[in-house]
Amino acid sequence: MSFESLLAKKTRTFLSMLGIIIGVATVIAVFAVGRGAQESVNAQFQNLSANSILIMPNRGRGFTSSSKLKTADAQLLLSADHIASATGAIQGNSTVSYGSTDKSYGVIGVDQNFITLSNLTVADGREIAASDIEEKAMVAVIGQTVATDLFAGQPAVGSTITVGSKKLEIIGVLEKLGSRIGMISVDEAVIIPSSTAEKSVLGDRGQIMIMTTVDNVDNTGLATTSITAILRNEHKLKANQEDDFRIMDAGSMVAAAQASAKTLATLLTAIAAITLLVSGIGIMNVMFVTVAERTKEIGIAKAIGGKRSDILLQFLLESIILSMAGGIIGMIIGQVAIPIISYFNLMTMASSTTGPILGFTFSVLVGIFFGFYPAFKASRLDPVDALRSE
Amino acid sequence: MFISMTDNFVIKLENVHKSYYLVNGEEIPVLKGINLEIKKGEFVAIMGESGGGKTTLLNIIGCLHPLTKGKYFLDGENIGMVKDDFTLAFIRNKKMGFIFQQFNLFSRFSALKNVALPALYAGLPAGEREAKAKTLLSSVGMAERIHHKPTELSGGQQQRVAICRSLVNDPEIILADEPTGALDSKSGLEVMDIFTKFKKQGRTVVMVTHTSEVAKYADRIIYLRDGQVLDNDYKLKSKY
Repeated sequence: MSFESLLAKKTRTFLSMLGIIIGVATVIAVFAVGRGAQESVNAQFQNLSANSILIMPNRGRGFTSSSKLKTADAQLLLSADHIASATGAIQGNSTVSYGSTDKSYGVIGVDQNFITLSNLTVADGREIAASDIEEKAMVAVIGQTVATDLFAGQPAVGSTITVGSKKLEIIGVLEKLGSRIGMISVDEAVIIPSSTAEKSVLGDRGQIMIMTTVDNVDNTGLATTSITAILRNEHKLKANQEDDFRIMDAGSMVAAAQASAKTLATLLTAIAAITLLVSGIGIMNVMFVTVAERTKEIGIAKAIGGKRSDILLQFLLESIILSMAGGIIGMIIGQVAIPIISYFNLMTMASSTTGPILGFTFSVLVGIFFGFYPAFKASRLDPVDALRSE
Repeated sequence: MFISMTDNFVIKLENVHKSYYLVNGEEIPVLKGINLEIKKGEFVAIMGESGGGKTTLLNIIGCLHPLTKGKYFLDGENIGMVKDDFTLAFIRNKKMGFIFQQFNLFSRFSALKNVALPALYAGLPAGEREAKAKTLLSSVGMAERIHHKPTELSGGQQQRVAICRSLVNDPEIILADEPTGALDSKSGLEVMDIFTKFKKQGRTVVMVTHTSEVAKYADRIIYLRDGQVLDNDYKLKSKY
């Protein structure tokens, strides 16, 4: 009965569903974006183990505008309490050219411990050695993507590339990794000795970072205190001066990133909730119009023995069917949109099962909630008054 | 065993008043103390001037209106003050069948679905109610048109569908408000033919009409004037 009534007014049925369709599609998109943000956070930190501690320069405010943090500080930190390993790196971007090809890549200046500590493997050639650091050697290890882009399958080791304005000899090519170090994808990076980077290639443009690991996650606090003491001493900071470095442990970094991903998800959920609310009001409107139009029918139904509950149920069913159909269409649109948006790289999205389930559930709830009042009104109409209306 | 005085009468009204109230609170009395008794199996026509309260009286008998004052005995039980929707809907559904001047069919539904609707409200399973509806429609010569919508049927055919609808729950009482009022004379005769069969089936019929041609089919005519019963056994003056 409800179905037939809805089919009789196709345009109106569709228009009143539109709100729900958009609402549910939004819910699904929102969850996909939230999931995507979560996944990109995870990807960013996937090769950062829980026991790592990161030290970065703190430019501070006012007169202490410079930081004395150097990649070489890493060697000092090896003597800090509970520190198992330490490696210094400097990151930046630079134009890299070979032959007629030139492109911008991430440049990472590292010490001899970096490649091993970061779980990177050299596929061809050799790693950066301690002697390269000492000699400020003009050498580079390149990521897989860089090798493919510049050398197109030809052996790269032994060739000379230009990074910025400096000529560097390639000594190694890394295996494909797919992960990131800081903000730089390793596959798209040129790795050079830290001393070379600090002196000539990156200079002041580089972002210094010291990566250390603690012997046990439980000792993170103790290690942090020890690192602070060593670095303050090394940088000759007075008691009233702020630290010119920041210490971040992996646990709190991941937590902070996840918290911000969660904030994003909450915000988007609020938007979706508002969309559904507005669509619900739309449905209520349409149901009121429908009830007004069918007043006479309500009178007839009552005269032939329809109970209030029968009439309530009929109109309620109509609004539920309406919102449920909208929910299903919205779900389909949402699910189809995710791969399309991802394909064009417009946004990081990952489909989740929560999104469709929640979207669908809410669409039904909206139908019940906003359909109830018009249906209740209909069921309370006086039969004789209703019969008299045209 | 106690036997009520009203036992012989399926419908008995005692001093029934019905007033409408305007928005400003002014009372418009429509029925001003109606007394009437209708026996089981009787075919009664209600006649009277327009505005005399015929339809209001029928709506009261049909439990569509609450009384303002008075008593309404249905099968000996005073239901005049019953307000409970469930009980009233049950009476309208099972004990009575309503037939209207304008047929009042659901235009979106086929004849079959229209007829089956009261049985749906009665809680009958789909197969059973459609079988009943089919039998009824066949009995009035509508077997070929059960899937037609009301707009695809003539007035006479629509009224036959409406009559079937009133019968689907096998009610004791048939209430009809000008059942031939919107029909040509031939269709009107066909409808009255069906009405005379109701009597043989033992049903009580209460029919509102303003034409003697139709009223003559009734066993008795109740004549209303100005909200009161003028004559409980009105005799038609003409030769009908």
